Amino acid sequence: MEFLLINHPLDCPICDQGGECDLQDQSMAFGSDRSRFLDNKRAVEDKNIGPLVKTVMTRCIHCTRCVRFASEIAGVEDLGTTGRGSDMQIGTYVEKMLMSELSGNVIDLCPVGALTSKPYAFTARPWEIRRTDSVDVLDAVGSNIVVNHRTGEVLRVLPMTNEEINEEWLSDKSRFAIDGLKRQRLIHPMVKDSAGELRPCEWEDALIVAGKALKAANGSVAAVAGGLADAESLIALKDMVNKLGGESVCTEEIFPDAGTGTDLRSSYLLNTKIVGVEEADLVLFVGTNPRFEAALFNARVRKAWVHNELDVAMIGPKVNLTYDYEHLGDDVNIVNSLLDGSHPFSERLAAAKKPMIVVGTNALSRGDGGALHAQLVKLSQKLRSGCEGEWRVLNVLQQVASQVAALDLGYTPGVADIRNNPPKVLFLLGADEGAITREDLPKDTIIIYQGHHGDHGATIADVVLPGAAYTEKTATYVNMEGRAQQTKAALVPPGMARVDWKIIRALSEIVGATLPYDTLNEVRHRMAEVSPNLVRYGDVEEANYFAQASALAELVKGNFDAAPLDVPLKKLEDYYMTNSITRASPTMAKCIAAVKKEASNKFVG
Amino acid sequence: MASTRTIRAAARQVKPILSVDQGEARKRVLNLYKAWYRQIPYILIDYDFPKSKEQCREKLREEFEKHRHVQDIRVIDMLVIKGQMELKETVEIWKQKHGLMAYWRDSVDPKPKDFLSKFLDGHD
Amino acid sequence: MASYFGLEKLFKAAKIIKHHGGIRGALYQLYRVDDLKVGTLVGEDARGNKYYEDPKLMLGRNRWVVYHPSVGTDYDGSMIPAEWFGWLHHKTDKPPTVEAPVSYQWLSGHEENTSGTEKAFMPYSTTKPKIEAWVPPKKQ
Repeated sequence: MEFLLINHPLDCPICDQGGECDLQDQSMAFGSDRSRFLDNKRAVEDKNIGPLVKTVMTRCIHCTRCVRFASEIAGVEDLGTTGRGSDMQIGTYVEKMLMSELSGNVIDLCPVGALTSKPYAFTARPWEIRRTDSVDVLDAVGSNIVVNHRTGEVLRVLPMTNEEINEEWLSDKSRFAIDGLKRQRLIHPMVKDSAGELRPCEWEDALIVAGKALKAANGSVAAVAGGLADAESLIALKDMVNKLGGESVCTEEIFPDAGTGTDLRSSYLLNTKIVGVEEADLVLFVGTNPRFEAALFNARVRKAWVHNELDVAMIGPKVNLTYDYEHLGDDVNIVNSLLDGSHPFSERLAAAKKPMIVVGTNALSRGDGGALHAQLVKLSQKLRSGCEGEWRVLNVLQQVASQVAALDLGYTPGVADIRNNPPKVLFLLGADEGAITREDLPKDTIIIYQGHHGDHGATIADVVLPGAAYTEKTATYVNMEGRAQQTKAALVPPGMARVDWKIIRALSEIVGATLPYDTLNEVRHRMAEVSPNLVRYGDVEEANYFAQASALAELVKGNFDAAPLDVPLKKLEDYYMTNSITRASPTMAKCIAAVKKEASNKFVG
Repeated sequence: MASTRTIRAAARQVKPILSVDQGEARKRVLNLYKAWYRQIPYILIDYDFPKSKEQCREKLREEFEKHRHVQDIRVIDMLVIKGQMELKETVEIWKQKHGLMAYWRDSVDPKPKDFLSKFLDGHD
Repeated sequence: MASYFGLEKLFKAAKIIKHHGGIRGALYQLYRVDDLKVGTLVGEDARGNKYYEDPKLMLGRNRWVVYHPSVGTDYDGSMIPAEWFGWLHHKTDKPPTVEAPVSYQWLSGHEENTSGTEKAFMPYSTTKPKIEAWVPPKKQ
């Protein structure tokens, strides 16, 4: 104990790790109450390793957990040690940033206060914080998190161990984008005045304006759900629109409709589950960059690659996945040649006992997505004959948290329907990716936007109804495996904002199509009527009918486009901003700036 | 019959506060009521608040009717004692005007009951 | 003779009414100032308020101000600048027209009390709001 403290400063009162420090605990339990150390203490210069991790290197006790994490789990060889004995230092060798999408985890790993969170620096002490277990919704992995909050603010987000999903890690976006929840928020209802400007108003006024528009539309109503919508509001919205006579209830994220489309759950889920990767012996990625689309899934693949000698191959753009893989090219037609066995790689596929085909939603949202999906269904079914037991081959890597729940509830993927038959009233539920714009609709279409951030959706809206973000509501989300989980309300929605399903329920009463549920339990009962898996929290409801899907896929006709497969998230700077919360986050903006600046770092080749 | 006997047995066991039987309790209640009733005109002069004699008598009756269902003489005694305390506070002008007006609860809004009014009110 | 019949009161009244610009003007003055007095004009301040004196009246009523007509009835004691305040309240007998007030460079001009008006000072929070609201972009 005394040896450890020889080179550790006694600055616990000003250290961010104070209260959750392993060394502090040890010292309290076993340490002496006075020091026999009379020499000078060592001092080490702090290193700048990016906008997320703050370093106070004098506090470092050389446990090298961060070095091991970076090189073994995150797969970036950025951290290491230099020097020997008391001159040893942890660092990046040259002055550079820790370029990883998992860098925040070294903060949790560090037993002392050498690596702490930069955005959270000097904010709060662990014993004065309230903790609420919740689920992350910034990607489709559904990582379990603990929301740390106090005085009506989310202060930080920490991972909660769930071996089936995120293990004990959390991606940087989920951990640090929370300051986006305090900016660009919608905190009061707004209605456009005669001059065409949005003006804040009371709930009554906004609901009456929206209700009048919905009534006057006479059934010509459509809805678009964005990527952060919860299952409760999705079911309420669908019920209301259907009750008013509207049929187009869509999701912003596109998914092909050919073949079985979204009728069979197995065609849009990650069927092998995230833990399934650890059993697999071959993974084939098609048109996806899992490192940035689902960072923790990629960490799991890397884990299997390191420990199980998993082979990875990729059809799509050549990107850095932090591990080696066989790049088959970025031509879609490779899928065809894999199916008919003419491609050299098809032998290895056939020989694999537990192969996985992981297709990204970017590939499926192309014009030939339907044909690609059908071919992949056929290929997977062909490979299943050589597999052991009930091994599922086909996997879809969803990118947004709401998509699986929306498809389970019967939403139509993609907004093509609305473009072709423009409705009189369009209801946007957090649809902020700009899938539908003002130009797509006739001039007199009234747009009602409900959501928590002022972004693309609110800008084009005539009526804005402020909703709650994921830390402010108890709501159901289904991750890409099809696992229903619930977020818990850590805070109350800011200002006049309300929980989303309640807004829709209240609006339905104003319109005169009252929805038959008043409490959260009643809404969930209705959700269970539509899709019982949505209320089996924590469980994955397995999806099947691969043979039938394959038979129907035979009917799909269509040729592949000549364009190569591509993904929008290629580099680290693309990773940080993918939805309205992250776009509002100053920390994410700082990350992007830092990563871009790193490109001109003279020390890095 | 058996039940009344057990009640009586129970009532005999506990120590009475003031009254020993229903009759005496009733007498105390009536005395209190009369005392209040007679005091009302003077209260109105002392406090000068915007209610008439009739309204006050109505309210007095209402306050007593509120506890009509009470049978337990100890509870009745307790309520009588509280009523006497209240009367003394009022007569001695230890209360203020709004303290008396609170009996009418004019400024208290009823709590929202249905979903929509709860929503507009911000009650979850 | 006139004094015998008390007619001089009437003459005086007529004189006062005439001084204030006829019956109409006198009524308006009565409405605005609640008083009809005739005195010698001692001076005028920068805002146009006029200061009168009539030593025949009792102390406390012998000096008065008639505010500038532009303020109507919406006048306030704080409109009187410091130099006239002293004379008006008998702190001194020398009005600023006789003895100019001392002037320093650091003295700021006189400001009236703005309570109850648009310009009234309202305490405001200097802490940043915890939640920053979205402001809709202005239409071009």
